[in-house]
Order: sequence, then structure tokens, then C-alpha cells
Amino acid sequence: MANYFNTLPLREKLNQLGVCDFMNSSEFLDGVNALKGKKLVVVGCGAQGLNQGLNLRDSGLDVSYTLRKEAIEGKRDSWKNATENNFKVGTYEELIPTADVVINLTPDKQHTAVVNAIMPLMKEGATLLYSHGFNIVEEGMQIRKDLTVIMVAPKCPGSEVRAEYVRGFGVPTLIAVHPENDPQGKGLAQAKAYCVGTGGHRAGVLKSSFVAEVKSDLMGEQTILCGLLQTGSILSFDKMIEKGIDAGYASKLVQYGVEVITEALKQGGITAMMDRLSNIAKIKAFEISEELKDIMRPLFQKHQDDIMSGEFSRIMMEDWANGDKNLLKWRAETGETAFEKTPAGDVKIGEQEYFDNYTLMVAFVRAGVELAFETMVQAGIKPESAYYESLHETPLIANTIARKKLFEMNRVISDTAEYGCYLFDQACKPLLGDFMKKVDTDLVGKNFNEGKDGAVDNRKLIEVNEAIRSHQVEQIGATLRKAMTAMKAIKTA
Amino acid sequence: MFKPFVYIQDLNLSYHHKVVLKDLYWEMNVGESYAIGGQSGTGKTSLAKAIAGLVPYQGSIEIDFNVQSKLPREVLYVESWYQFKNLEGVANFYYQQRYTSQQAKETLTVHAELVSYGKEKGLHLDQVEPILEALGFSTFASSQLIELSSGEHKKLQLVKALWLKPQLLIIDQPYTGLDVASRKNLNILLDQAAGEGVQLILVCNDPELPNCIRSFAEIIDGNLVKVDALESSNSIENPSIEIPDFLKESPVYSSYDIVKMVNVNISYGEKQVLKNINWEVKAGEKWLLQGHNGSGKSTLLSLVNGDHPQSYANELYLFGNRRGSGESIWDIKQHIGLISPEFHWYFDPTATVWQSIASGFYDTVGLFQQLPYTKSTQVDELIKYFGLTENKNELLNALPLGKQRLVLLARTIIKNPELLILDEPCQGLDQQQTKHFNRLVDELCSNGMTLIYVGHFESQLPTCIEKRILLEKGEVKVVETILESV
Repeated sequence: MANYFNTLPLREKLNQLGVCDFMNSSEFLDGVNALKGKKLVVVGCGAQGLNQGLNLRDSGLDVSYTLRKEAIEGKRDSWKNATENNFKVGTYEELIPTADVVINLTPDKQHTAVVNAIMPLMKEGATLLYSHGFNIVEEGMQIRKDLTVIMVAPKCPGSEVRAEYVRGFGVPTLIAVHPENDPQGKGLAQAKAYCVGTGGHRAGVLKSSFVAEVKSDLMGEQTILCGLLQTGSILSFDKMIEKGIDAGYASKLVQYGVEVITEALKQGGITAMMDRLSNIAKIKAFEISEELKDIMRPLFQKHQDDIMSGEFSRIMMEDWANGDKNLLKWRAETGETAFEKTPAGDVKIGEQEYFDNYTLMVAFVRAGVELAFETMVQAGIKPESAYYESLHETPLIANTIARKKLFEMNRVISDTAEYGCYLFDQACKPLLGDFMKKVDTDLVGKNFNEGKDGAVDNRKLIEVNEAIRSHQVEQIGATLRKAMTAMKAIKTA
Repeated sequence: MFKPFVYIQDLNLSYHHKVVLKDLYWEMNVGESYAIGGQSGTGKTSLAKAIAGLVPYQGSIEIDFNVQSKLPREVLYVESWYQFKNLEGVANFYYQQRYTSQQAKETLTVHAELVSYGKEKGLHLDQVEPILEALGFSTFASSQLIELSSGEHKKLQLVKALWLKPQLLIIDQPYTGLDVASRKNLNILLDQAAGEGVQLILVCNDPELPNCIRSFAEIIDGNLVKVDALESSNSIENPSIEIPDFLKESPVYSSYDIVKMVNVNISYGEKQVLKNINWEVKAGEKWLLQGHNGSGKSTLLSLVNGDHPQSYANELYLFGNRRGSGESIWDIKQHIGLISPEFHWYFDPTATVWQSIASGFYDTVGLFQQLPYTKSTQVDELIKYFGLTENKNELLNALPLGKQRLVLLARTIIKNPELLILDEPCQGLDQQQTKHFNRLVDELCSNGMTLIYVGHFESQLPTCIEKRILLEKGEVKVVETILESV
């Protein structure tokens, strides 16, 4: 199979990368009708599979699950999830031939095997639904020409997809129709109906393409979302230990700090996050984040280039073929870092203290979000797509770190994201060596304002505020956030 | 002269920017146990939390622990509502999550929770057994915390408190959600604890208290005042305002059959919580649903409200349609106004009073759309009727629990639904508010509304109840007509 994106002429590459339409709620007036009475069969019953299925059924749709024979016979967790919630479960042979829509919610790595197994069983003219485009775009999977291929990707963990639905809302969702597989022209109508079924239409739906979704998703997760959060966390912790800050305090500050800081990001973008700092701390955070952007820009660009050329997926798939040798090795190494092995201390850290004593992370987050966004937009990805894959997802990933540190983050994200995250982390740490030498405890571990005169120059402050607020990620963010304001805040301990 | 056990001077405390306790002075002597009552919203919970050192305050609170006693020198405060956490220490659960089977276990079992608590406090596990037994909680050892109902969570907190036996034990609304038998046993256990030297402060208005409670007090104008007894109705009779016109209209029924269950069974793995339930509710009937804590009441109601994932495999008809015939849960909920302790527990605390009530039109937790003019005026009328006008722009979680409950009760009836499901609706209300609300229910029902009411106390029921269903261990024990409908 050849990389699909690389087979396209430049014109078509740009065309597909540029699909990006934030949909108006009036486009969903037809409800779930396009899927009403159709047989929906979900492949896989993990967190996304189960929770999407529960929502679809509660929206009046006919949902069942198909699992591999071994999972059914072994009564594995996926089988229990489905049967104990009273869903019909069957093998591929039993259920796929009856399906009008087959929903593939298995991990990326299994896609080729799963799709090769189900495709011959699918009935003429049925629809195949993905929640990520890797298989189609990077692996170049060819789907039978009579089948419709669509994507619906809720931009939240499975448990949130359910929690928001039962309270009558939803989570932001991305949809796409594969231009090579829309023989009857029904793809978009079905994708929209699926959004209504999961509740996503209430929180904002972005119409994208398989290509734009993959190229932006990979970029976001490797750089700002997972890569930089990992690098920033480890460097911050090590710096505090080097400078004699209590290890338990340092561990807690890093574990929970990133979540508290990015909660402000979620509510009001970079602006709100920076505004939580005092004026002098804000100016400092701005200056060092500018410096960080200059240092890391070439690395962000390299990641984007390797993603666009297919180089990233090539080397990752080599590792798949190699039994995940590198992935497993790097995962083990992450588990051995001092941050990971030091339990959070039993100290109380106030909400504001996380900002005042962890100004360095605020700078990391601003630099990472803006760089990822800028790099994606320069590569031809539209600002709306770039926003979702950078700023929007950062608090969600930060939440996983608060739960159980980097181990939890790397467990929850896909293996694809995890692999890219390690690549970034390994390259980024040495790059920041000189920078970190200059960092002292006023930026991480102690209150930045302590012992300093809080006075600032008016013109300087105005200039900094202006630079933060006028960034394109802030402007597009303000529009998109309006559509999802009702999402509840992530609650922590 | 002995030093008092609790000695409070010049205590000042504000709750959400409103002064609730003002220059409060109080002595509680060694050996005394108190019940603190009075109207909802007077600052009882704030005072209790201040004594336990859980909220900031101005002034001084001294506790003179007995150094000779073997009991831990500790003040333990048991919250009215306890928010449990998952294994990662996050309290991020959602309404009805406990009915969904998920293999990824996020919470501890009751047993594991008790083991870890015992370890932390240096307690012996064999001493907790009799307490579990007395409160009817032994069978829950292997249950996940997420699977417990609100009443069961309350019991778990009480079990821990009675096991620890701190020198000062403060319990906020000790009886909330407990059935009659559990209440009686709790009083016996509290008397035993008092006999061993535990001093109690119970925050409640309930008439049946343990014998060890011989002193009573109420908060009046920011100060704690000793009274002879907790008056059951000391507040001024509300001037009877007429109910808004839009609530006087009779509901339009799409079907005469509201609920029909045929041999309904619900189980989680090996554990069966409902067995062969057969039950029919016809339009206009007024039902009382009864049963002990854990008898399956909440599960039964979750089936009616379209919330239970196992509805789909059962023979269940709602509003004339077979469940799972292509309807959405929102199609079902639009016929129903529901309130339950659990619903309150998980309600969006960041909504304002106005938004919370308005969201009842759409059956959502929080308001996600603009209201048309007529609906918006109806919200205003109901706010006025419930006496909440001055709170209408406040956040729900800035109000005391009793007022929050009133707001959600208003939400429940705002759309004048065909079916009212009131699961312990008056928890947290004082006696006056309870009477007032039950009168409103009677009035709504006289216009033909269908009712399913859950309440543990015969004295606190609306008078319109005409039929009764009693559950015991997941089975229907009694179905009877108590009153011929007129």
C-alpha cells in the first residue's frame, strides 16, 4: 500500500488539506434521520466504542458490536462491556454482512488487519466509519469502490463523550468524507446524523478531510500536546531537585500544575492563561516563551515536514513490524525518570500558587501552542483545524498527567501519539540545554513575585498584551470556544 | 469551674460574600450533646464546618480535648452529602454513570475503602462489623463505590464515623436518605457512642433523635441560641400565593399507559437488583414507591426515566411505546419531570438559579439555548412563586442546600409534565418547606398529573397518594390501592 497523500498531485494535496468548515447548527436539523432504521455495527468495545454506542442507542439508533472470536470466547473486557449493557454481540461473520454502517473504533495499529477482515464481508453500498484517518492516508488502505468511507472523531476521551451526552450536551467533533469513496453522495449526511447521535452537534462540528485530520492530529500530539508537556515536566522537575526544592513539592507542582494552568487556557485561551500571572511575571513569561519559540521552531518544523512527507509514519510502521521494539524501550525509560518515580508530596498548593510558582510551564505552554499552531498553518492546514489540534486538546492531555503523571498520559493516548511524543522529547531536551542552565527557582518552584518590585513600564505591558491577544490562535479560538462554552470544567482533587 | 468542651468567641463567618454568623458566642460543656436546628439557610452547616476547622473564619474556637480519654482527640465532621473520589483522587463522575457497566474499574470497593480507612486511623476491622450489621450495610462489602446510591454513601460515612469514635462528632443531616429501620439503629449506635464518651452535634430538624441529645439550639440572626426543643414548625406560615396559571392546565396525554413493565430483570454480573418486576402506571394515578435503602427503587425509576442501559433488553413500555423501538431518551424525558438526591448531586453547580429552572424545559443539566418569550416569563413566575426572586441570578452552588433543592423542585415542574417523579424530593428542606411543597404537589395532581413519589416518612407525604408499590430486595412485595381515586 502506498501513502495516499503522496500519490496526490500538489493541487489535490492543498485542496484536501484546506477542507475546513465550522458548521452551523442549522445543518443538523435533520437529526439522526440519515441513520434511522439502519444497522450500525461497532468494531471494538473499549472506552470510545462503548460510550459512543451508548449515546447512539439512546438517540434511537440500532447499535450492536462485533468482536474477534477470541475476545468473545475468552469473555474479555470488551465482550463484558458490550453484553452487560445489553448490546447484541457477534463475530465479524455474524454481524458485518447485516451492517449498513460499520464503525471501526479499534487502535490504528490494528486497522489494516481489521479492515482486511471485514471489507469482504460488508454488503454492497454500505458505509465504513473511522475516527482517525491514519489507515486511509498514511497506510493508503484502498477501500472497495461501492463503499462509502467517512470519519467522525469526537475530540474528547470516551468517558466525556458519554458524560456530556447524558447532561444534554456533547463534545466538539470533527467529521470528514473520503473523496475517493462517496459513490452515492450520502457520506456527509450520515456523518452529520452520527454527530447528532453522539450529541456532538451541540458543541461545535468541524468539517475536515481525512488528510487534514491526520496531518494536523499527528503534528499536535507529537509537539505541544504530548511531546512538549513531557519535556517541560521532566526538565522542570529536574531543575527543582537540582536547586534543592523539596522533591514531594516539586512532584506535586509538576503533576497538577499543568492541569490547573491549562484550565485557564481552555476557558479563555493563551490570554486568560497569561492574565493569571502578575504583570511582571507575565512580561517575563512572554519573553522566555519568545526565546523558547526561537529555539524550538526548527524542531517543530522538522516534525511537520516528516509528517507531510510520510517519513514519520514510515519509521513508525517499521517499528510496528519490529514488534514495537523502540516504543516499548522508550516507554520503559519514561517510567524510570525521577519525576515519574517521586510521589506527589502531601502538601497543599493553592490554585494561584500553581501559576505563581510555575511560571516556566506557562511559558512552555504558550510557546508550544503558538508554535504548533503557526507551523501547521504555514504547512497549509486551516486555522480552525490547527486550533483543535493544539490549544483545544492541551487541557485534555494535561488532565491525564494530573491523574497519574506521564505514565497515564502515554497510556491514554494512542500508540501513534506516544511514539511521536518520544521522538520529540528526545530531540527537544538537548536543544533546551543552554536555556535551562539560565533558569532559576523564581521561574519554577518558588513564587516569581517574591522579593521583586511589582512595577512595570506601561508601554512594555501594553505591547506584551497586544502581542498575546492579537495572535491568530486567539482570534480563531474566541469564535470556536463560544460554541462549546457549556462544556463543564474538568474537576480535580 | 470546668473549662467548656467547645468554647467559641466572636465568631464571624461569611458564605459566598454573605454574612451568616455574626459575633457568635457559645459554650458546649463536657458531656453535652446538641442538636442544632432551625430554618434552611441560617448558617448551620457553616458553623459545623468552622468547628471542625474546615472553613476559614474570624474569631476563636477552642476545643478542650480530654487527654485521659482513649478516644481520638479529633473533631470529625460528616457532610450532608459526601463526594467520593475515584482511584486517582478525582471526583469526576456523572449522573447515571453507576448504571453503566464498565470493565475499567475506577473506584475502590466498600471493603477496600474500609481497610484503607482503618489503616489510616489505626482501627481494627473486627470492630466495624457490628456497625455494618446494624446499619444493614454488610452486603455491600464487594460493591464498587460508584455503584452505591446516595443513601448508601451516607451510610458509609456514618459507619466510618461510628467506627472512629472521635471525641467530637458533628453530623450534618444524619438521617438524610436513610429508611426508618436504619434511622432507629443509627440512634442506638449514637447513644452507644455517647455512652463511651463521644460528644455529638447533630445538625438537623428531625423529631426522633437519640436519647443522648438533651440540648437544642438554633441559629437566629447569626447567633446560636439555646432552645427547649426543636420546633417542628416555627417559621411563619407562608402566605398562600396562588400557583401560576400555566401549571393549572391539565396535561395532554399521548397515551393512557404511562409505564408498563413485564417481568423486568436487571443485574450487574452475578448481582441481581430487580427481579421479575411487573408494574403498570396509568395516566393520572398517584403512586407511592417504597422500600429499604438498596431495595431497587432508584434503579426502577431510572428505567422509567430512560436512563438505564439495560432497558433495551427488557419488556418495558413508556408512554405507550415499547422501549428500544427507535425512540431517543430525550423523547421519553420530555414527558417527565424528575428529581432525586442523585440528580441534585450531579447537577451543574455553575448554572444560575434562573438557568437551572429554565433547563427543565429541555431536560438538560444546565441551559444550552435561548428561551422563547413565553417560556422565559413562566420561569420568572415560578421563581416568584417559590420565593426565589432575589436569588435568581446567583449560582446554584452559592445557595444553601435547602434552597438549591427548592430550585431543582421548580425545575422539575416548570414544563407541567405528564409524569412527576419525585424521589425523596424534600431532603434538605425544613418542615415548613416540606409541607408547602407537598401542598403544591397535591394541587398539581388535582389537575390530572401522574405521580410517582418516593418518601420514607408517612408524615411527610402529599395527601393525593392513592396507590402503593413496595420493593424488597429487588422484588415487588406489595401493590395496593390505599385510596379510591375520586
